[in-house]
Amino acid sequence: MENNNMIEIKDVSMKFNLGIEKGFSLKQWFVDIGKHKKKVKNEFWALKDVNINIKKGEVVGFIGSNGAGKSTLLKVVAGVMKPTKGKVNVYGNICPMIELGAGFDSQLTARENIYLNGAVMGYSKGLIDSKFDEIVEFSELKDFLDVPIQNFSSGMVARLAFSIATIVDPEILIVDEILSVGDLAFQTKSENKMMSMINGGTTVLYVSHSANSIKKLCDKVVWIEHGVVQKIGGKEVCDEYKEFMLNK
Amino acid sequence: MKKVINNLKYVYKKYSFLLEQLVSRDFKVKYKRSVLGIVWSLLYPVLMMTVMAIVFSNVFKFSTPGVSYLAYLLIGLTYFNYFSEASNLAMSSVVGNFSLINKVYIPKYIFPLSKCLFVGINFLLTLIPLYVVIIATGTGLCWQHILLPYSFICLFLFTVGMGFILSTISVFLRDMFYIYGIIITVWTYLTPIMYDIKMLNPTFAFVLKFNPLYQFINFARTIILYHNTPTLGQFAGCAVSAIIVFLLGIFIFKKKQDKFIYYV
Repeated sequence: MENNNMIEIKDVSMKFNLGIEKGFSLKQWFVDIGKHKKKVKNEFWALKDVNINIKKGEVVGFIGSNGAGKSTLLKVVAGVMKPTKGKVNVYGNICPMIELGAGFDSQLTARENIYLNGAVMGYSKGLIDSKFDEIVEFSELKDFLDVPIQNFSSGMVARLAFSIATIVDPEILIVDEILSVGDLAFQTKSENKMMSMINGGTTVLYVSHSANSIKKLCDKVVWIEHGVVQKIGGKEVCDEYKEFMLNK
Repeated sequence: MKKVINNLKYVYKKYSFLLEQLVSRDFKVKYKRSVLGIVWSLLYPVLMMTVMAIVFSNVFKFSTPGVSYLAYLLIGLTYFNYFSEASNLAMSSVVGNFSLINKVYIPKYIFPLSKCLFVGINFLLTLIPLYVVIIATGTGLCWQHILLPYSFICLFLFTVGMGFILSTISVFLRDMFYIYGIIITVWTYLTPIMYDIKMLNPTFAFVLKFNPLYQFINFARTIILYHNTPTLGQFAGCAVSAIIVFLLGIFIFKKKQDKFIYYV
């Protein structure tokens, strides 16, 4: 672990082939018979030669317009996608909060889902056992533990998911978009929890469209446009981004 | 070699709890709303056997001289049902869990594997009605029964391999869900479940022997119905077909799994 780097993104490029994504369809094949269509290369580079080093404890914000490649980059870091070219080295355990509650089964009760979702997040049984009460208390769902979560409101589900996701102190936290879950009281509570994680020395990768919230939270800002890193710098990048968006 | 074992240990330690959770999830969800619950696992094969026994022994006059046709039928059904249900669930498991695969890093093989284990527990339960029928029909027991788990393991490895292959294909070709329905139907008739392979002409019977499921079922029948020790050839036949398909499945799945994400 030289230079204290937590995450090293080296020359990462990500290619999507828009053509193959649709898959082969027999109907389309019949429609295309006889037409001498040239094979259109529908290649699309979601990321191009991205180089970023992130040090321990840094809070890094990612800004850019829709489809700029921010989420793709986070997925590459989280190991969900393998980059077409380049390499990503991650030195620490990652807690991806890309979409909360992805591992829930709506037919199971809250109690069962805590264990299932915890397992999906990579927690051990012992850890969930010891943190179970804490999760329940934070989510404020004590009275609904044995209710199938298909009967929950979406706010309750989000509360449960947030409580499970943040129960460990991960070394790297990936957050996609602002976490506005639950009612106002819970929003404040979850924001405080996030802030305490950030202040506790966790390395955070934070994606948002809102330059303001990034300015508030982050000490390093990466601006991505069309898969290419435009600028890496301090908070002043946010202002340049704002100006760019206004003049567009 | 040491590295591989250490790697396996690490994976087991890290993901055995997730595997356990996925299997128990399937169990809870399966029986949640049914009145009889887990009793269905015991009842279902017996009912299937009854229906097929009525049809094939009365209408088509099938019989197996010297041994009970009921026991003969139920052995075949138990083995084949395991394969058919587990391979079907495993096939759709990767596509069905795309929302998860797309968000969190989880080794993808865990989904087909958990389905094969889940149906495997069901399979062990169906051994209860099987033994009831073995005793009720006067087929009797013998010491060779302790060799049966060998065929279970082969059947399991074969099914996991098929699950890997099918789930990979279905990611790229969703039509596979329909195609496989047909394949399974054809496979049912190409496996001597309700008929005896001796009824067929020798050439066709010879070809059928290359069906791995025939190998497993025949192994079990040799023990349960005829109280014989399977020959070395039978042992080998089971192991070879199971291991080949298992390794092929791992190879195909491993080669293609990084591309899954583009076909969400």
